[in-house]
Amino acid sequence: MTADLNSYLFVGAVLFVCGVICMATKRNGIGVLMGVELVLNGANVNFVAFSKYTDLGLDGQVISLFVIVLAAAEAAVALAIALNFYNNYLSIDVDRANKLKG
Amino acid sequence: MSGESFLFTVFAAATCLSAVAVVFSQTVVRMAFWLIIALGSTSALFFLANADFVGAAQLLIYVGGTLVLLVFGVMLTASGPYLKIATSPGEIVLGGLVGLLFLFVVFASLNGVEWRKPTAHSIEAGSQVVAAGNTLRPLGLSFLGSRPDKDSSTDGNVLTPGYLLPFEIVSVHLLVVLIGAAYLARAKRRAVQPN
Amino acid sequence: MVGETLRNLLMIAWLLPLAGFAVEIFGGFWGSRKSRVAAWMSVGCIGIGFVCSLSALLIWGGSNKWTVLHGADTHGTSHADAGHDAENHAEPAHADHETSQAHTGDAAVSHVSPDSHTSHDPAMERGQTVFSGTLYYLARFGSLDISLDYYIDSLTLVMFTMVTFIATCIHLFAMGYMSEELTEEYVDHNAHLANGHHVHRPGRYYRFFAFLSLFCFSMLGLVLAGNIFQVFVFWELVGICSFLLIGFYTERKSASNAANKAFIMNRVGDFGFLIGLMVLWTFFGTFRFGETVNENGEVIQAGLFQMLPRDESGNVLRDAESGDVKIGAVTASEPSGKRTIPYSLLVVAGLGVFAGCVGKSAQFPLQTWLPDAMEGPTPVSALVHSATMVAAGVYLVGRFYPMFVQEVLLTIAYAGCITLFLAATIAVVATDIKKVLAYSTISQLGYMMLGLGVFGWGAGLFHLITHAFFKSLMFLCSGSVIYGCHHEQEMPKMGGLWRKMPITAFTMLVGVIAISGLAVPGSASLLNYFLNNESTVWTLWDPQSTPDQIEETIASKGRDTVIARLAEIGISTDEESKLTDSISELRKMDRKSLDDALSPRRILPVAFSGFHSKDAVVATSLAFTKANPSHFLLFIVPLVTAGITAFYMFRLWFYTFAGKPRDQHIYDHCHESPWIMTGPLLALSVFAAFCAIGGEQGPLYLLITGDQPSHVAHGVAAAAGSGQINLPGSHAVHEVHSTAGTFALIAAASGTFIAWLLYGTTMVNVAEIKRQLSGLHGFLTNKWHFDELYDALFVKPAHIVGKFCAWIDKTVFDGIIHASAKLMVLVSKWDRIFDESIVDGFVNLVGNSTFAAGRSLRVIQTGRLRQYVMFIVVGVVALFAILFTTFPG
Repeated sequence: MTADLNSYLFVGAVLFVCGVICMATKRNGIGVLMGVELVLNGANVNFVAFSKYTDLGLDGQVISLFVIVLAAAEAAVALAIALNFYNNYLSIDVDRANKLKG
Repeated sequence: MSGESFLFTVFAAATCLSAVAVVFSQTVVRMAFWLIIALGSTSALFFLANADFVGAAQLLIYVGGTLVLLVFGVMLTASGPYLKIATSPGEIVLGGLVGLLFLFVVFASLNGVEWRKPTAHSIEAGSQVVAAGNTLRPLGLSFLGSRPDKDSSTDGNVLTPGYLLPFEIVSVHLLVVLIGAAYLARAKRRAVQPN
Repeated sequence: MVGETLRNLLMIAWLLPLAGFAVEIFGGFWGSRKSRVAAWMSVGCIGIGFVCSLSALLIWGGSNKWTVLHGADTHGTSHADAGHDAENHAEPAHADHETSQAHTGDAAVSHVSPDSHTSHDPAMERGQTVFSGTLYYLARFGSLDISLDYYIDSLTLVMFTMVTFIATCIHLFAMGYMSEELTEEYVDHNAHLANGHHVHRPGRYYRFFAFLSLFCFSMLGLVLAGNIFQVFVFWELVGICSFLLIGFYTERKSASNAANKAFIMNRVGDFGFLIGLMVLWTFFGTFRFGETVNENGEVIQAGLFQMLPRDESGNVLRDAESGDVKIGAVTASEPSGKRTIPYSLLVVAGLGVFAGCVGKSAQFPLQTWLPDAMEGPTPVSALVHSATMVAAGVYLVGRFYPMFVQEVLLTIAYAGCITLFLAATIAVVATDIKKVLAYSTISQLGYMMLGLGVFGWGAGLFHLITHAFFKSLMFLCSGSVIYGCHHEQEMPKMGGLWRKMPITAFTMLVGVIAISGLAVPGSASLLNYFLNNESTVWTLWDPQSTPDQIEETIASKGRDTVIARLAEIGISTDEESKLTDSISELRKMDRKSLDDALSPRRILPVAFSGFHSKDAVVATSLAFTKANPSHFLLFIVPLVTAGITAFYMFRLWFYTFAGKPRDQHIYDHCHESPWIMTGPLLALSVFAAFCAIGGEQGPLYLLITGDQPSHVAHGVAAAAGSGQINLPGSHAVHEVHSTAGTFALIAAASGTFIAWLLYGTTMVNVAEIKRQLSGLHGFLTNKWHFDELYDALFVKPAHIVGKFCAWIDKTVFDGIIHASAKLMVLVSKWDRIFDESIVDGFVNLVGNSTFAAGRSLRVIQTGRLRQYVMFIVVGVVALFAILFTTFPG
């Protein structure tokens, strides 16, 4: 397996899909958050790969830096929400949050 | 197989396998562990792609910051360290199938794209960047609008708008988010209603 | 200057009652119902009004140095002047602006330059006596000004003084009479509820006085009015006030009916009035009596009274070809006679205005409302019957005299003649004390109309004033009787009341004598002969006297006295030698001219006011009859009626006050009224007795006729062959005065005697006469069946037409409406079915399908986070699948 653009993209795709599946299957709220981090990482891998193998240049790296920062912010907020959720339901099971059921 | 390819293969495999392990782990602590592996391997991949600053940031922020935060979350919310909130097997199977399908779709579309190749100038510039030994200085210059890696002009010395303004916005945004998170997560003296 | 003072004084007198009304009408809110404040305020307003009016009269007299009261002289010269005036009148060709004014009123000329008249014109010597102008502009429609004007002449001033004085007396009287209303809960014994109980209501003392004030305001406004439209406005105001006051006891069915009747009857007349107004405006273009003056004092439009020039014989000027009547100069720049009005329309205008007067003054054929109006409180009756409502009609006929032509005057005369006889006969059989007075009022109004109709302008208005005094007196007396007898009005239950209420009886007697026209027979000639030293002149004149007798007379009387006497009759003497010349000049005069010359100095018979005024009317009618023998009824009827008048008035007095009590219960409980009621009686009785003192040489008559229309004095001679009537001048009236007076006195005396015979003694059984003449009695008791006649003529047909209309309404129109309604219901039903099935069905279908779609889609809204993620993934996969299958490669 050579380190070319497609290889990076495959890795990113795997990360992305794993994150999505993680979000879709984990009942634990923290697990869902982890899925989100995986998804973001998959995207980051893609940006960095494009930075190296196309004429995107340093723009890709800058964007992935921004993504990392935003992911941190997202994690902080999401954790705060998870804590509140836990306070209200005494559980972290996201299936309990079905008040929006139509 | 060159050394780069070997390293890439190793870290790519580590990344993919640990990501899959995250999916299939049943306890949150194990998930956190596999996540650390996955993110760490990813940072190694960044280093391999000559993005040393991004890789470092990945290690510092993700592995050192976000994951610690997640572990705190696990500790604060979990009734026990090995808490299992079991997903029904049918869902896992369904999720797996859909995931495979999605992966197939993504792979198929990736293979079908002809990516734009870098120009000679940018390759040269990129090699200059690499020759400089790290990407910290080019990144800092790019924030100020000076782009040595781009042939945006004939002599490559003309300033572009740069990323300074987005950077400032993101900084303020991060501050606001952290204050907001602290506000949301602060302990509330409220009667807990078991539902 | 004088004009402004007069205007301001009369405006105060006029507007104060309005201010009073505006305050008093809120008496029920602002004060207690037991308070007399409203009454005092009302009395104060009208009292100050009287003072103002009297001051105005005195100022007016002072401004012309009371030349009016030396009317005897002007009368004397007026004959001589007639020639000159006739010359003036005879030249319509140069009838420019000034002369056209000179035709219509000696005194109406306020803006004439002095040089246009020669100095011996008596009117000019007197100075300005007529003042007219505008108080306030209301609106302007094209050339028509609607404004509040004033027109002040001697008649206005006399009317003002009379109205305010009588109204003051009546207000004071009413304070006592209405005192039963000073309560929070008044029990009306004549009004019954459905359950048979009496009506209980709060007292309306304040309201009564508020209405009285409004009434006075309206009447005074009518008198002051300077244009015919304003007269009409106040005319209607008087009508509505009488409506309010006649219907004062509004809970009584009879009272409200009477109020309606009065109002509706008046509307009939007012319809004619409106027609008259339209004709007048169409042809004359103005409503003003006096001329319109701009700010520079220039006349820009002549008044109504100046627009009908008359020739030397008093006739209106007619166009030779068309027969249209020429209208005088309308504006200063326009020649006289440029515009014309068809003679028939001039008659229509006059008759129209007179129709209004017929309604208001209760003349035949609209006389039936007035007796019913007795339902109002007695002070109201007094006010309505003397000074205000009914006087308005007569006043307007007098005021509008310059616009009346012979045909109109003849109509007026006959209307009055019929009325006076009709009402007098009914009065003979009436037993309600107020009804008798009511019919007597109608009868006396007939006299006034007759007097005006036979060209006795002064006579008619003279009678209006004197009648106002004695009729208000008698009504107040009857009010006092009713009050004393606790609201008993039937004379057969009274009798002998003079012992219980002497003041009322005495004052009533004064009124009765006054209205009957009694006088001491022969007192005139005797007094004149001795007190006035006429004997000297007659002795000197007597053809049988020898020169010795003449010398003897001069010696015994004294030469200076003789010279003075001769000077009085216009023969001046300077020297001794001239005295014989004077005497020979005297002896050349014939009996009649000497008599005429002496007459201004004469003392009239000892008599109360009614004698003088009725005498004037009868004399005028006699003169008229002499000039127009075919209209002899106009003299016979009033003469006979004079006797009837005396009969029924004395019948009333004997019935009520003399004889023995017929109802002991009433007699025992009756009492004299308090001073606040008897005081006005005494004051009025003085005026009823003496206001007309001096007769036609007395101050009152001269004041009234001070500004009489110029053609009245000379009479009107009909153009030869025109078939029109002749109208007697004052000279012709004077000739027959003593004859008429004698006849009238004989009639009155015999009437009085019969009344005394029938009711004052027990010699004749009245009931027997009544039984024998039961047919006539019934006819009269039923008021000549006028009510029944009108019922059959107007009310029944109206009912029939109404029923027919109702039938048509119910069958035809209601049928159509019902059918269309049913059709509409049917259509609506179908419409409903369509709506409910198709329209609603469609709407429901849309709604239901939307709802069902939502319900089915709801299933996928699980609210579960993870499923949503799954959906996203599946969605992305599906999108890509579509993409790949659609664009393969």
